[in-house]
Amino acid sequence: MNYQFDFHFLTGNWGLLWDGLKVTLELALISNVVGVVLGFGLCLLTLSRWFFIRWPAQLFIEFFRCTPALLQIVWFFYCVPMLFDVFIGPITMGVLALGLNLTAFNAEAYRAGVQAVPREHLDACVALGLRPWQRTLYVILPQALRTALPVLMTNGISILQQSALVAIVAVADLMYVGKSIATEAYRPLETYSLIALIYLALSLPIAQFVQWLERRQDSAMAR
Amino acid sequence: MTVPHLVASTPPVSLVDNKPCGDFIQLRDVYKSYGEGLVVMDRLSLDMRADDRLVIIGPSGSGKSSLLRVMMGLESIQGGTISFQGKPYIDGQPGKHGKPLDTRLQTQVGMVFQHYTLFPHLSVLGNLILAPMKVHGLSKAQATEKARLFLARLGLESKLHAWPSQLSGGQKQRVAIARALMLEPKLMLFDEVTSALDPEMVIEVQNVMLQLAEEKMAMIIVTHDMHFARHIATRVVFCANGKVVEQGPPEQIFTSPKEPRTREFLQKVLHLD
Repeated sequence: MNYQFDFHFLTGNWGLLWDGLKVTLELALISNVVGVVLGFGLCLLTLSRWFFIRWPAQLFIEFFRCTPALLQIVWFFYCVPMLFDVFIGPITMGVLALGLNLTAFNAEAYRAGVQAVPREHLDACVALGLRPWQRTLYVILPQALRTALPVLMTNGISILQQSALVAIVAVADLMYVGKSIATEAYRPLETYSLIALIYLALSLPIAQFVQWLERRQDSAMAR
Repeated sequence: MTVPHLVASTPPVSLVDNKPCGDFIQLRDVYKSYGEGLVVMDRLSLDMRADDRLVIIGPSGSGKSSLLRVMMGLESIQGGTISFQGKPYIDGQPGKHGKPLDTRLQTQVGMVFQHYTLFPHLSVLGNLILAPMKVHGLSKAQATEKARLFLARLGLESKLHAWPSQLSGGQKQRVAIARALMLEPKLMLFDEVTSALDPEMVIEVQNVMLQLAEEKMAMIIVTHDMHFARHIATRVVFCANGKVVEQGPPEQIFTSPKEPRTREFLQKVLHLD
């Protein structure tokens, strides 16, 4: 291979890349907020003792787990506007698709954490006069969050990668910007490699942190 | 030596009257079963005065813990009625849900469990102030001040900012007692609180309970420790098969029980001790 690497074409494109990166981060961060909050709510619904609450919640989870994320995004961009006559803007629709996808996966992550809260803690909440919602908010959620944190963060990183899929519906995220630069400058090798390194640089520290967290939790269990 | 006060407010005078028949708590024909086979309270009736410390003893499965759990509102009854401080508290008659009718009365009952139930994500302080802030509406400063006071009285002031995982079993159980007392209950329920403790830690928890006894806290205690039962009780209640078989002052129950079943039970457990 005698390919000559040349990064000079990038000098005029840093601004574009930066804008794309901002969109990607925005998508990933807001989706994670949506996923972490709604995921807990959805998890509670799946643990309800009423079938008619539990069943739709489980169906929601299965829908997002058992269809391709790419399809979900396309569906939100083209089908939701047709069905409900709303299109709030590309980023909002992207956040909706990615956020709800993450909600489904996070609900599963929370479930183990909620079920691990000892029964006697719930009794103690009654003895302390806490209302059911106070018990959920102040006792169950913090304990479940702690148990579920490594999985929540892993899911969070994977949504950062999945956010690249919105490029397909012309949201100007990092992937989309990269693609247009690559085509304009006829420099796909340099551009896509650089984009890959940026995604890697964003995710790797979080992945490392998760590993550290898991090791710490393991040793806390052993104690 | 001054006796430190654990009971923040003494009950109103009307509650501490010494009527021969207790009207602080009255259980009438209380019935509770888990399905067909297991009847844990079989038309059980029991009275308690505000200055009583009942210790309930009996073979396992005789409904001792169930009685406490029902009083706390953790489980429902399917028959009979319970009144608390002269007011209807739980109605188990047909068509009623068999749980506490009045949450205000319910918050005047405190309970400590066998296994430590300190919330691991909160510090000792956090555990103590959660309910006073969320249930009684105290400010954080007020609740913290109160927590400091209660911990000092239990000799745990240095543990204010410790985490539950840093405490010994006995310390955890004492913090759990302090947490219950923060809500200023009129009645404390102790469900085998020393059963999970190492022997050397049992005493420190029992001392706290004795301290409470000196301050005339009304208590219902379920324990297997007959020596402690004798020491703390004003009245010992022997239950079997969901009924009160015999009750009386500890000296009488432990030295000259009238019922053959009580005698049989005591021979067994005292022999094993």
